[in-house]
Amino acid sequence: MTQVHKAVEHRTNPKTKDPDPLARVRVAAQELHGALSDAAAKRGEAMKSDLQAIPAKAKAVAASLKESLGVQGEATKKHLEEAAKYLETTEKHVAHSLKATGHAFDTSVRQAVADARAAAQKISEAVAAKRTVESTKTHA
Amino acid sequence: MRNYIAVVFSDKTKAYEALHTLWTLDDLGAITVHGTTVVHRDALGHIQVDTKETHPALATAIGVGVGALLGLFAGPVGIAIGVAAGAGIGAAAGGIVGAVTDMGRADTRDRALSDTAFVLDIGQSAVIADVTEESVSPVDTRMRELSGSVYRRAKSAVRNDDAWYYDSYFYPYEYVPSRDMYYW
Repeated sequence: MTQVHKAVEHRTNPKTKDPDPLARVRVAAQELHGALSDAAAKRGEAMKSDLQAIPAKAKAVAASLKESLGVQGEATKKHLEEAAKYLETTEKHVAHSLKATGHAFDTSVRQAVADARAAAQKISEAVAAKRTVESTKTHA
Repeated sequence: MRNYIAVVFSDKTKAYEALHTLWTLDDLGAITVHGTTVVHRDALGHIQVDTKETHPALATAIGVGVGALLGLFAGPVGIAIGVAAGAGIGAAAGGIVGAVTDMGRADTRDRALSDTAFVLDIGQSAVIADVTEESVSPVDTRMRELSGSVYRRAKSAVRNDDAWYYDSYFYPYEYVPSRDMYYW
């Protein structure tokens, strides 16, 4: 697990932490996907035990994301709104998986991993959109 | 511009340096990295993907995705071949090449070995990434310093249903497997 999130750990180091709230939301979403993927790689009760912490993490990322929405431009906001939906479905799939067994459990976990990844990607796209706008302003 | 890039190196250590460099460029705001993965081609010509141990069914999807992605860099014909051949490419989870049923099919295996050869030769490694870059120069300059060959393909040139394979596979953060996993 420790080697998996090398960059994420580096980027959350207080000394190097990006002051941009959007960058912090992105790191949190990446960590969520990492934690969920790590849980999904386990088996049986160990997996379920790890999954129990996920809905709270997803909620926290969604809350931070919503806080940062107000200060973003339209292009960035659009990506973030999509990310918020993916975070919501991640939380739902994990909650469902905790009550499910067999194929339904596998399906829920797989959907949760896919949605967490999609959320991280949408936030990443929001970061790219924001950087593009800032770069355009700089060169104007 | 949103691009898929593949940077090919003669050894895997350089590929991991490149992986780290891409994320550093992202930290600096020079590019935005949306996802990365590292692949190797072993002495037998099999393509191995560094990934977490996961469900076997997902490993098959990973194989298809990477086959599609390597095929993508081969050009329009390569996309179709890559997807077909990808089922014969295993994912290296925990240092073991994933056992994929289609690998037993000689026709699939041979196509997988030959159709991606021009990008990833035997013994070579590559970092593959989905990036947004305003200019190609940050990546090209840093990869040249690492002696890597950069292949680039616009994401807009890729069909959405093809993109799904590798988008769902890339790590949205820097993923480096444990030493045991990639120094076998």
